[in-house]
Amino acid sequence: MVIQTEISPTRPTDHALRRFEDIRDLLPDIDNPTPLVRIRNAVSADNVYVKLEWLNPFGSIKDRAASYLIAGLRSNGALENRQIVEASSGNTAIAMAAIGAISGTKVTITIPDGIPEETKTILRMLGAEVWETPDELCPVDHPKDGAIALARSLAASEGGSRYVMANQYENPDNVQAHYETTGPEIWRQTEGAVTAFFAGFGTCGTITGVGRYLKERKQDIAIIAIEPEKGHRLAGLKSFAEANEPGNLDRGLIDDVVTVSDDLAYAMTLKLHREDGLLVGPSTGAIVHAINSYSYFADGVVVGVSPDGSAKYTSQFNELLGTDGLPTQ
Amino acid sequence: MTTREQSDVAPAMTLDTSGLLCPLPVYKAALALEGMERGQVLELLCTDPGSLADIPAFARQRGDRLVEVDDRGELQVFWIEKGAGG
Repeated sequence: MVIQTEISPTRPTDHALRRFEDIRDLLPDIDNPTPLVRIRNAVSADNVYVKLEWLNPFGSIKDRAASYLIAGLRSNGALENRQIVEASSGNTAIAMAAIGAISGTKVTITIPDGIPEETKTILRMLGAEVWETPDELCPVDHPKDGAIALARSLAASEGGSRYVMANQYENPDNVQAHYETTGPEIWRQTEGAVTAFFAGFGTCGTITGVGRYLKERKQDIAIIAIEPEKGHRLAGLKSFAEANEPGNLDRGLIDDVVTVSDDLAYAMTLKLHREDGLLVGPSTGAIVHAINSYSYFADGVVVGVSPDGSAKYTSQFNELLGTDGLPTQ
Repeated sequence: MTTREQSDVAPAMTLDTSGLLCPLPVYKAALALEGMERGQVLELLCTDPGSLADIPAFARQRGDRLVEVDDRGELQVFWIEKGAGG
């Protein structure tokens, strides 16, 4: 006997039931924030939390910026008969490629040196075209921003008729994404008790957007930036000793800058994996190392952003681990 | 204006990057040279005036030999012989 029931094939998104009509409904905001999780073991203080941005639908904090950048381009007509080109170390590219794939917009990504193979493959899985770009592509004494230069060149070539560059480094929609979502989420999740916020220098959308929001609430909240060393291999972070400072950086918001080496970043990343079960990417390791090296914030709540997870970096970790974890006999 | 070093080899390939801005001509030239044999010559057409500085530096960086540079005003023509380092 077949029982017929009148069940509608689609139901509206319901966050309480965790039922979603569209993957984009999982993009975070104050009512659907990414989790804030305390680091219990890997750091010496007991008031340090990381915001797990790798639990976003496309795997990183860049989901926020990508969604705002694409929405901005669409609303000003820039995507009519054009495809997006963007310079990205991976996470923005992945988010743009995914959102572009769902909405029928073709995406081309110029990707710099040192990016994991996993990332490049994921982009191609999402239908993006990937142009691998040496950091020193411009042979005549340019800073190490070959991927950005190539993306700009593609956008400007053929009279600008074929590509439009989202330009995450200069486009204020990147900052706005964090001012309207990440910042308010942190403020609410800490119930206004946040005393310090740590994030890396990269496109600077996060540190500027969150920094601006939090300082508007309480001027003495410390905003600390993490900068990698020259020649680093920390995807998503930028050393301004070798790359241009993005237009999205508002230096007036930054209270201090901590430089972290690759070795220390990777060491803390493994510590987070092994002592807290937090499968974070290496840029998180850099940020948490910086937090752990600070002794100034015993009161209140310290928040560090965890931009992405570890899955895209397994080949780099495989190299780092050597024989660690393999049987000796 | 033309400068030419001695070469007995005619171009094996012509790459026209007219309308493209730096560093696209360099990027495309590198891709083209990847598919060529050592000693073969790539004829590269450029309209970006910056190429007059970029292409010689690019060839030097890669260990290729710049056989000819022909600056025709709005068009620059380069003959690049693929070296051992490329």
